[in-house]
Amino acid sequence: MSEIVFENVSRTPRAGVKGPGAAAWLTSLGVPVPDLPNSWLPLPGGLVARLGLTEFLVEGPEAAKLAAPPVHGVYPVLRQDTALVLKGARLNDLLLETCSVDFRALDRAARPVVLTSMAGVGVTAIPGDDAGVPCIRLWCDGTYGEWLLETLAGVAADLTQSSQSHHQGATS
Amino acid sequence: MKIMTCPVNGPRAISEFAYGGEIRPMPDPATCSDDAWADYVFNRNGSPGVKREWWCHTPSNTWFVAERDTARDVIVRTYLYAGDN
Repeated sequence: MSEIVFENVSRTPRAGVKGPGAAAWLTSLGVPVPDLPNSWLPLPGGLVARLGLTEFLVEGPEAAKLAAPPVHGVYPVLRQDTALVLKGARLNDLLLETCSVDFRALDRAARPVVLTSMAGVGVTAIPGDDAGVPCIRLWCDGTYGEWLLETLAGVAADLTQSSQSHHQGATS
Repeated sequence: MKIMTCPVNGPRAISEFAYGGEIRPMPDPATCSDDAWADYVFNRNGSPGVKREWWCHTPSNTWFVAERDTARDVIVRTYLYAGDN
């Protein structure tokens, strides 16, 4: 059994918006806005992430609110992402193999959003943990999704195989 | 690994960045001489020294300015573009 579990959550509703008026517009719709760039806030059944200075990603039921007609200085962003959730004890080993950001060094209490490159694909990442097990939520351009999923699954399988070989070597 | 600091996303591996060329003021094509326009279009400054350049952090599509000393291969500083003033 793989030590890293992959879940494809691409069908979760999501919407994006950007522009100098985006923060005020979201606030007027009742969507809370993270104060700092590259941080996120939880929403009922989802989240809102601030990507850089003036771009926002809303995921979950609250994304429906962004169907309202935008005002001046607010521009819709088409979000046809592939969205993945990866979870497992050896997740950090997978991240070290495929990405140059050290996710262990991040302050999870600050709810960081990381825009980086993973296996050569630009991704938005939110690290976390689920009952003490490390997990990470990833979004990438949908056209790269299948390739990224297969590549990460391949690295995860190699990690599982190497740890099993190590375990067998230690017990024989 | 070479590191560059994005003004928004922080220090990252240089592989996450794309070079956008040196910042060069464009002469007004309606009023400048043909020589000045040809110089702007065809010539580039290859002499070593501190250059102001466009760079992009590609995962976030953040464009910013980097001052890079091409003689010493050192990134002096990076910052967001604040306009032509």
